[in-house]
Amino acid sequence: MQAENSAGPSVESENPEERITARRLRIAARNEAKKRQELEVDSQEKEDIEEEARTSQTQVEQSERRMVKLQTDGTELVTNILVAADARESKRRAALEEARRLRVEKLENEAKSSLEKFEEVTRKWTAATAKTIPQDLRDALNSQQQLCALLIENKNKLINELQQELKASDDRYVKDLKKQTEDVDIMIERMQEQITSLMKSYRQELDLIENSFDDERKTLLAGNKKKWEQQRKERGNKELEYLLQRMKQVEEHEVLLHRLRVEHAEEYNMIKTKLETDVQILEQQLQQMKATYQLNQEKLEYNIHVLQKHNEENIITRSQQKRKIRRQQDVLNNLKIKCANQEKQSHEENQLLTDDYKRAMQQYKDMQKKMRHFAAVDAKRFDEVWLMNEAEAKALVHRALEIDRLIHEQQLGLAWFPPSLPFMESSGPVQPRRQVQRTSRQVAAQVLSGMGRKGDTEAEREGSTVEGSESTGVDHKTVKRLLELLCDETGFLIESKLLKLLSSLEKDEQSFMKLDSIFSVSRMKLLHCLFSVLALQERDDSEDAAYWESMAKVISESKLKVWDALEAALKKYHTVLTERSKLLVDTEHLKQQNSELRMLLHQYQLKGIHCILMQGVNRHILFALCIVL
Amino acid sequence: MAAATMFKGNAPAGIYPPIAKLNPAADPRRMRRIIAEDPEWSLAVVPLLTNLCLQHIVKHFEERPILDELVPDQKAFVLEKLPPSLPLSVTANLISDEGYWKRCCEGRWGVSDVSEYSHSWKRMFFERHLENIIELFIPDVTDPRAVLDVVPLCQNYVRRLKISQLLPPIKEPPKFDEDDASDSASDVGNDRPSMDHFDFRILLDKLTNLEELQLVYGVKGCGMNFEWNLFEFTFRDCEFLAKALKSCKSLKVLRINQSKVDDEKCRKLLSYLLDHPSLLELDLSHNLIGDRGARAIGKLLNRSRLERLDIYDNQIRGSGAQALAHALSKNTSLLYLNLRLNRLGDEGGQAVAQALLKNGTLRNLNLGANELTEPTATAMSHALVQNSTLRSLNLSCNRLGVDGGKVLEEGMSHNSSLLECDIRLTDVGLESEYCIGKVLRTNQAKVRRKRTQAVAASR
Repeated sequence: MQAENSAGPSVESENPEERITARRLRIAARNEAKKRQELEVDSQEKEDIEEEARTSQTQVEQSERRMVKLQTDGTELVTNILVAADARESKRRAALEEARRLRVEKLENEAKSSLEKFEEVTRKWTAATAKTIPQDLRDALNSQQQLCALLIENKNKLINELQQELKASDDRYVKDLKKQTEDVDIMIERMQEQITSLMKSYRQELDLIENSFDDERKTLLAGNKKKWEQQRKERGNKELEYLLQRMKQVEEHEVLLHRLRVEHAEEYNMIKTKLETDVQILEQQLQQMKATYQLNQEKLEYNIHVLQKHNEENIITRSQQKRKIRRQQDVLNNLKIKCANQEKQSHEENQLLTDDYKRAMQQYKDMQKKMRHFAAVDAKRFDEVWLMNEAEAKALVHRALEIDRLIHEQQLGLAWFPPSLPFMESSGPVQPRRQVQRTSRQVAAQVLSGMGRKGDTEAEREGSTVEGSESTGVDHKTVKRLLELLCDETGFLIESKLLKLLSSLEKDEQSFMKLDSIFSVSRMKLLHCLFSVLALQERDDSEDAAYWESMAKVISESKLKVWDALEAALKKYHTVLTERSKLLVDTEHLKQQNSELRMLLHQYQLKGIHCILMQGVNRHILFALCIVL
Repeated sequence: MAAATMFKGNAPAGIYPPIAKLNPAADPRRMRRIIAEDPEWSLAVVPLLTNLCLQHIVKHFEERPILDELVPDQKAFVLEKLPPSLPLSVTANLISDEGYWKRCCEGRWGVSDVSEYSHSWKRMFFERHLENIIELFIPDVTDPRAVLDVVPLCQNYVRRLKISQLLPPIKEPPKFDEDDASDSASDVGNDRPSMDHFDFRILLDKLTNLEELQLVYGVKGCGMNFEWNLFEFTFRDCEFLAKALKSCKSLKVLRINQSKVDDEKCRKLLSYLLDHPSLLELDLSHNLIGDRGARAIGKLLNRSRLERLDIYDNQIRGSGAQALAHALSKNTSLLYLNLRLNRLGDEGGQAVAQALLKNGTLRNLNLGANELTEPTATAMSHALVQNSTLRSLNLSCNRLGVDGGKVLEEGMSHNSSLLECDIRLTDVGLESEYCIGKVLRTNQAKVRRKRTQAVAASR
């Protein structure tokens, strides 16, 4: 930027146009830089993102491989120098080591040899000190000097050699240094070369990758665009179709909606009115309910009060009842005791009463006996009474008839005919004309035959037909059952032959025959007695009533009417007569009074007020006359 | 927005031309109504009171640093105006604005790459500041307080120290010759003035965030003033450093390069590093470690969480390698091992290859330039058949020979995990090289495919 500024127009320039151009340039440059940056970023991103794409991926892989190869090659090239230096160094070290070893050996040898020589010299020193002749001493010293010189020479030689070696190694060091600087230079050079080549190839690869990505993108774009177009068209068609469909549907739905709306509105109104009325009704009901509720509440409150009161009372009464119960229990206990006493007592009484009963039974039997006796007596007395009454009645009849005749003849002046009176001839109580004493056999036959047999036993019936069956009819069923029971129970009395013979007969006949045989065999007293009871016949009073009635009806109805009418007329006549007699008495009395009054008048005429009195008298007279009349 | 940010970059150069400030009447800008490039430009003749206040704050920032109380845009204004020359004691813990620290860095070291400092200019500034102080520290001359004063200011920001030189004391022991100096330095120390360097004990336990430490006990760029004693790592140095390292619990990476660390010092150093809670990476390359040192390293391997170990360019031989291999066979944390430029020989190479049979974590192994020959190739091919975790193997610069190459090729044909195998300069023959390369390429392709699939799946 600064370079640009310095080269082109400057923003610091005094010329505004120049400044403007400078700024424009700067903006352009910035934009370009930004664009480049973005592009780079884009390409990088693309490389990252679209790695999955096929061609680009292969391209990337290829590039990567190529770059790696390039890099390794370059690195190898650079490190080759290092390796070579290493190799050289190691060689040098080996050589150094070897040289050192040799040197050390040489030094040791030298030291050894020089030591030997030195020892020789020192040995000679002792020899030399021993020598007394100056000549010898000189020789010895000379030789010593020679030896020392030799030693020193050797040493010097060695030193020289070492110094030469040192110099050589110095030279080598310098050479090595030079070589190393060369190496370093070469290395730097190669590094730079590698960097540049790498940069170049990176750029190339980047271009390639970008191109491949671009191609891929283009193809993808084209494909997508095509697909897009196609789908868009399809979508347009479909949308049109749907639109039409939708419009149709909308119309249909509108119609439907309208109809539904109307219907619903009607329905709604209906429901609304209904509901409103319902609401009103319910409100009324609610009010009513409220009222009733209040009422009920009051009532209930009242009830509660009452019930509380009741409850209190109940509590009181309960306590009372409890007390009472306790008392009652006491009473109960007392009563139980009493009851036990009573039971004992009653037991005793019972005993007493049974004794009494027995006595009573005895008495009863006696009474029966007496009754029978009295019955007989009564019957006799009855006959006697009957006869007496009959005689009396007959006398009364005769008298009545006599009176009737008198009435007819005297009062009415009619001829009287005595009515026929058959009963007058008879005397004594009316006797039923059958035999009172029937045999039990006969009774049985009668009973059995009375159950619907027609004419089987006319012979036995002849006697009993008159009186009819009504006397025994009451007991017919029981009697029959009794008899049947009897013949079943007392079957042992019947002979087996008879039974065989009887088997062919009818059921009633069978039983009859059986009874017959049984009666003939047993003639048991009990049975007899039984039937005697049955046969014991009450006196029949129906005839008596008729008898007495006929006697009473001697005077007929018509005659009685005549009598009544006659009586009435006679009574009237009697009354008239009694009145006449009374009037006669009255007139007599009046006549007496009149005479008295006349006497008085005569007295009063003397006095002045006879007129007033007269009036009174007249009135009395008039009154009396009226009564008379 | 883009325009504004772009503009800000060149604003200081363009807007305040020094001449214009000197002579406002002559400034043509005064004649203009609008200057689009200057957001602070206004027609008002009298500057705003706030601006005046802010300028005052800037001017007297050293006496009264007012920053946190300001509203954001005022704060930005002040920060932009603050000169980088302010004392660190004021700014260090007060200003966190990157722009200010960027200016500081650029003012001091020119153009720099901030990406190495996790894009933090402030970190860069303090790390480099501290490095400078330590690199220029001369024992017994420089006051240790010069370092200690900086510590409280920078301890929160320093994560890495890359110290490329440590100066020895100035006093020269004139009585010694050059040859004797190297010998006497290690065994003499108490009776005479020491050659000890900067004592890290005073520093390391205070840097609570320090994670990476890189040291070179030597002088950088001495030129023709070379003397052996400039490159002396004394025993006391070693002890002090070891103790300091032990006190620094957050350290993850330790690099001590080109410092003449021999067996004794290595053992001393590592004995203090045993069971270090956080150390993950150890780099002792370009030193003089021998077999005993290697044994100490082997011991450390299984008493730490080391993941990366660089001991290339040392003098480890067969027995040391055996000790390392023994440790390796039991180790479960180490991922990277570099033994380049040592002297393992077949003895050590075979031991390492056999350790690979048991190890299941190591991913990178470098055995370049180790005088290995065919037996090692055989053992390595066995290991390759069984091992399935190793990803990279470097056997370059070893005389494996054609037969060794064939054996290796045989082993490689059964391997499906190795991705890199460097067999340059091993005389293995073109055919084997080609075959091995082929297997490597198939393995790489497989891994690539898996990776792409994983990426696709994650999407």
